[in-house]
Amino acid sequence: MNPSRTVEVLVGAFVMLGLAALVFLAMQVSGLTSLGADAAYRVHARFENVGGLKVRSPVSMAGVRIGRVTAIDIDPQTFQAVVELSISSRHANLPADTSAKILTSGLLGEQFVGLEAGGADAVLKDGSTIKLTQSALVLENLISQFLFSKASEGRPETPAPAPGPAGQP
Amino acid sequence: MIAALGRWALTVFARTGRASLMLLAILAGLPSVLPRPRLLVRQLYSVGVLSLPIIVVAGLFVGMVLALQGYTTLADFGAAGSLGTVVALSLVRELGPVVAALLYAGRAGSALTAEIALMKATEQLSGMEMMAVDPVRRVLAPRFLAGILAVPLLAAIFTAVGILGGYLVGVGLLGVDDGAWWAQMQAKVQPLRDVVNGVVLKSFVFGVVANWIAVFEGHDAQPTSEGIGRATTRSVVNTSLAVLGLDFVLTALLFGGVR
Amino acid sequence: MPDVPDSPAAADSLVRIRGLRFLRGTRVIFDGVDLDIPRGRVTAVMGPSGTGKTTLLRLIGGQLRPAAGSVVLDGHEVPALRRRELYALRRRIGMLFQSGALFTDLSVFENVAFPLREHYPRLPARLLRTLVLMKLEAVGLRGARDLKPAELSGGMARRVALARAIALDPMLMLYDEPFTGQDPISMGVLVQLIRTLNDALGMTSVVVSHDVAEVCSIADYVYLISGGRVVASGTPAELRASGSDWVGQFMHGLPDGPVPFHYPARDYASELLDGGGRS
Ligand SMILES: Nc1ncnc2c1ncn2[C@@H]1O[C@H](COP(=O)(O)OP(=O)(O)O)[C@@H](O)[C@H]1O
Ligand SMILES: [Mg+2]
Repeated sequence: MNPSRTVEVLVGAFVMLGLAALVFLAMQVSGLTSLGADAAYRVHARFENVGGLKVRSPVSMAGVRIGRVTAIDIDPQTFQAVVELSISSRHANLPADTSAKILTSGLLGEQFVGLEAGGADAVLKDGSTIKLTQSALVLENLISQFLFSKASEGRPETPAPAPGPAGQP
Repeated sequence: MIAALGRWALTVFARTGRASLMLLAILAGLPSVLPRPRLLVRQLYSVGVLSLPIIVVAGLFVGMVLALQGYTTLADFGAAGSLGTVVALSLVRELGPVVAALLYAGRAGSALTAEIALMKATEQLSGMEMMAVDPVRRVLAPRFLAGILAVPLLAAIFTAVGILGGYLVGVGLLGVDDGAWWAQMQAKVQPLRDVVNGVVLKSFVFGVVANWIAVFEGHDAQPTSEGIGRATTRSVVNTSLAVLGLDFVLTALLFGGVR
Repeated sequence: MPDVPDSPAAADSLVRIRGLRFLRGTRVIFDGVDLDIPRGRVTAVMGPSGTGKTTLLRLIGGQLRPAAGSVVLDGHEVPALRRRELYALRRRIGMLFQSGALFTDLSVFENVAFPLREHYPRLPARLLRTLVLMKLEAVGLRGARDLKPAELSGGMARRVALARAIALDPMLMLYDEPFTGQDPISMGVLVQLIRTLNDALGMTSVVVSHDVAEVCSIADYVYLISGGRVVASGTPAELRASGSDWVGQFMHGLPDGPVPFHYPARDYASELLDGGGRS
């Protein structure tokens, strides 16, 4: 192979490697693949408070990831948060009385939607709504409730837990 | 004292002016490079392919160290599962573009400056001019274009290798769950905000600045051996300062509003 | 002006310089130089080193701009040309640099092929090869075509540079000190070559040098410059016969005379006695 040919081949390999790295960053690192990779259906859930839940946050059941949050909005009538969940079609047999909770992974981890299966025979379909929900625990609210109740009891007990970076997922 | 300060300021202004004019001339000359891909390929070889070893090795180690350091902190909070996120975000947003640009300045930018300065000192550029070949188009523009193509590619490679290095240490050595590593990373790293803004946009800006400085310092060098040495040093130092300063501005602009 | 040159007829001069003034910083290099390069002849410009001979060639080639005065090349006012016009004009000028200025990363063959490839990108490879070998043959270095410039001696490098300079068959050749660093044999060859190229290809040549003997053997007309102006001009024979001290000193290589050997400086004795104080 003559030298200028070698140079061309090496440069070609370099450019391909760079582009492959970009594809890797887009697909594997930022998860473009898992967006539309397999068919999914959408259900809605209403919450009083979603805390730090974000679009693209995971949806899991029994600790297994089965989908992700695709939209978060406010219901203009009730002023509740409406969360749209996209769940993989492989899990099309979730009972209609499945409940949804907003949970936190670890103490400071990010928030996600955890689903718990109910016992009904009917199943959730595209567009149905999850009735049973439990909002996010907002640390500030917990702390202030705790302090408030202690104060009304009139006798300080154990010191309050150190406030973490509350409100953040 | 005041006079010296004034002279210094005048020198800085004059250099900035010359650098800007040269950038304009180079940009005007870019279209003449396109019909001659061979010139570009030759330069991509010397600034891109030859920078690859140091980029890959450095990326691997930076990723490994990030994972090691991040793990000690995260494990205390029981959040070791977020290790992938920490490693990926640090690399994609900051370390990838910045460190790749700094390594580029040391490996390729300095060589670019020295090469052009030596061509000037040995009258090769003058000779070209007298052969009715414009050195800005024939010598500077292809090098500049190759450089600004190479830097984002090198930054992407650096970042990807860094994340793999972090994976080796985090998952292979420290026992972070393989699924958690990727899943948490994918949940937090966003293709547009992080990958495009960080790796692509930032390193494009760094690439323009690094190659502009390298080419200018070479072209503006005193045509003596001492002048070439000074120009090479200045090329690396100025590029490093410019990259770090610009990184602050760009981070504030691109990621400042978003948490 | 002491010795207003008895210029060749202005009508057939390829280059006409009038009232040329040029400064490096505050230092005056040229002050009121008038000079004509007759078409089809070999004109020599001689003068002590540092008088601005190289600078003069760069002014003719448009690489430097005069502070005042005019440089007219083939009817074009060089300092006033726009970039595109200047580059078009330079295609017809060949310049042999003092250093050779070969591209160190290209072989001898590629160096000579460079201007051809740049200006005629669609030239067939066979024709290009023939042209390059022809030029290399003319300077006697066809056998060295695969060497890199670093493998050449100074004299060989100069000859390769000459082959490159004539690659585009210029109408005007500018030679900057072509004889320095040449051994006696290649010096003779080079003198012949400049003359032959000039006559056979119908070129006009300007030879800048301080090698009196060689220059006198080929030049049709000689300008002597010193101290920023033309001090004498004429055919070699006229200059040799000149009674002027300036000319006599230069033409006969006398160390002392009106042309100073020293760069302008303070008085030697007072500077030595002045001990530490640097000015
Ligand atoms: N780039 C430059 N900057 C400042 N001064 C220069 C430069 N080049 C040449 N000079 C000065 O101009 C004068 C003429 O130089 P030059 O034309 O090279 O002389 P020569 O007749 O030996 O070819 C010299 O005295 C030199 O000091
Ligand atoms: Mg000279």
